[in-house]
Amino acid sequence: MPKPAESGHAADVATDLYERSGAAAYGVGAEQFTAILDEILRKYFDPVPNSAHASAEQKADFCAGLRLEELALARACAAGNERAWQDFISRYRQKLHGMALHITRDGAHAAELADSLFADLYGVNARDGVRRSKLVFYTGRGSLEGWLRTVMAQEFINRYRKQRRTVSLEEQTDEGVQFAAADPDPARASDQRLEAATDEALAELSSEDRFTLASYYLDGRTLAEIARALGLHESSVSRRLDRLATGLRKRILAGLRAQGMSHAQATEALEADVRDMRLNLRSRLTQDYEATTFPDSSRKVPARDPGGGSNNRQKP
Amino acid sequence: MTGVPKIVYDRLRAARPERALPGRALPERTGPELAHPDANLLTAFAEQALSAAERDGVLEHLALCGDCREAIALALPAADIVATPVAAASEAVRATKITTKAESNWLTAFSRPGLRWAALAAGVAVVAAVLLVRPGKLNQAPPPPVNQQVATAAQPVPGPQIAPSPIPSSPTGQSAVLTKSDEARQKAELQLSRKLKAGQIVTPSHQAEPGILIAGNKKDSAQADNLSAAPATGARAFAYDASTSRRTTEAVEASGAAPAVALAPSAEGNLMARNETPAIEKAKPALQGIEANEQQKTETAAAPGSATSQARNVTFAAKLASPASQVLAHNVTWTITAGVLQRSLDSGQSWQNALRADRPLLCYARHDQDVWAGGQAGTLFHSADGGVTWAQVRPSIRAQQLGSDVTHIDVRGDARGPAQIVVSAGNNEIWSSADGGKTWEKK
Repeated sequence: MPKPAESGHAADVATDLYERSGAAAYGVGAEQFTAILDEILRKYFDPVPNSAHASAEQKADFCAGLRLEELALARACAAGNERAWQDFISRYRQKLHGMALHITRDGAHAAELADSLFADLYGVNARDGVRRSKLVFYTGRGSLEGWLRTVMAQEFINRYRKQRRTVSLEEQTDEGVQFAAADPDPARASDQRLEAATDEALAELSSEDRFTLASYYLDGRTLAEIARALGLHESSVSRRLDRLATGLRKRILAGLRAQGMSHAQATEALEADVRDMRLNLRSRLTQDYEATTFPDSSRKVPARDPGGGSNNRQKP
Repeated sequence: MTGVPKIVYDRLRAARPERALPGRALPERTGPELAHPDANLLTAFAEQALSAAERDGVLEHLALCGDCREAIALALPAADIVATPVAAASEAVRATKITTKAESNWLTAFSRPGLRWAALAAGVAVVAAVLLVRPGKLNQAPPPPVNQQVATAAQPVPGPQIAPSPIPSSPTGQSAVLTKSDEARQKAELQLSRKLKAGQIVTPSHQAEPGILIAGNKKDSAQADNLSAAPATGARAFAYDASTSRRTTEAVEASGAAPAVALAPSAEGNLMARNETPAIEKAKPALQGIEANEQQKTETAAAPGSATSQARNVTFAAKLASPASQVLAHNVTWTITAGVLQRSLDSGQSWQNALRADRPLLCYARHDQDVWAGGQAGTLFHSADGGVTWAQVRPSIRAQQLGSDVTHIDVRGDARGPAQIVVSAGNNEIWSSADGGKTWEKK
């Protein structure tokens, strides 16, 4: 956001945005709100070198596209405005629990997740004596509700991974992990040439195509879920997957032949690989990073219950 | 849908997010190695609110980062994915196609539209061929001559009519069977009388599931003993899978080829009592079923008025089931994992989600094609077609509604009538419906 003093037009825009946001009702002043918008603009425009020279119009359009009303609410809550909190609670408290249940699929964990998020939002955990609400990170790009869901999902994933690492041997025995087929040594199982050809074929795909492939085959998402994430129709996703699978196959075979394999050899390499497959998609898709996936600058909620449902998202 | 080779999975999985960092990652999220798009960007992505450039950046990351993909999927609004049934065959067999390339699952094959039509065409061709080759045979509605002989011999019981069977059991085969069955009959009588004298009670040992009809007829069990030539362990022949038999019943009825060997109300009043006509046939070749019929027929004719025929006469209905329907009935298994109802078409080797409600599912029950699933806060879903389509059921009576967690579902009933459903819920509530879920009673 250009400084309001720069031109009369910019000031008009700023006033307009401020009025639309209804921030005044939560005790957020016009200058304060403009400062918030400035901060958001810096976040999204300045780190990108090419768009450093984004025009004032671009920035104004960007601001106009934000969820101003929800942004005002969130920031007012973060600032500790009473009325904003009342509004927030009446709007989202119930929904938060619904979201948590949807994400965890388990009543006890849902309550825990929702409560801990609520504590984060309220900023219970003071750092340096300063209460800091997680809501200051909301920038109004998407809906506040969607943001809450995403934050919760990230928290859940972080927590789940933490718990998964501490699964006891007994639990593993209970679920038969030790009987799982040994993962064939990747180096041995897959020919270097096959790997190279596959990487090449994958690299040729657009990121959206790779996202679709990974969501469907690795993550086991439904067509409907992928379609909604991409804003497409289910049948488009289905067609795309068909096209991708066929195309990949062709390209890998072509890549293998280019490396000196005969057609029969190439086909065999691909087929033999399929038969070797022993994989539990769900359990293998979660990659074990040492680092926390979604580093939370405000604080980390310790996993309180590493027992019971730690594996509740694994396939049988 | 086409599967992808395993190497594709491996390489997709091997891809790590640090190779593709979206430039717009927020400063506070930028870790030493992982720069995940923050919740704002992910939300805006899922809500289609990003500019094209930003969207590409996020997608680039998502293509490599399973965690962010999961976060997006988990954060999809719950309301929209209530009760997503497994849409079509292609969706249903998705999980299998990865692993079962070598097994050549016929279901997988049919998931391809082209093959579906090809299968249809092949079916038409087969029917046409049969009509061309054996036009006369198919038109012979009355039973083959051998059968008639037996029927006359079996006077005064009106001979049960065996409809032309779709199984290639030609008259010659039947005659062979018949002679065999004559011997078998005598053996059966002998054995039966021995057992009766000894006061031995011959009852089926199989634990009956709801809806199974047990043949209480001692004579029948004795017969069955002989027929199946099994060790004399009582009703071994009756130890059949309930679902199979029910399924077979349906299959036969649907094909219209049911060789209903209904014993007509005869002069021999002893055959009255209760004529139950359920399937009592193991998944056996149809030939044996016919054999059973013949034997039953001759038996009843030969020993009219004997005390053995008293009590309950269970009519043997030979079940000529298509093998395919049996395979289906056998292999579909269900489970609930993490609140999602899943089913397996290959006896549990691979699973796919069949039903995901907005609240976690806790229990399920199935009865033939009827599948019920219950979950938290009164969630109750019903599928009448084996899980292909689902409808939410909200049991209520006099302004009271089922609102507590459904912990157990019991479905019973025979194949014809509406099933009786008993739903146990928290707070010791028991809801039951006698008409397949239309009206409910609360206990």
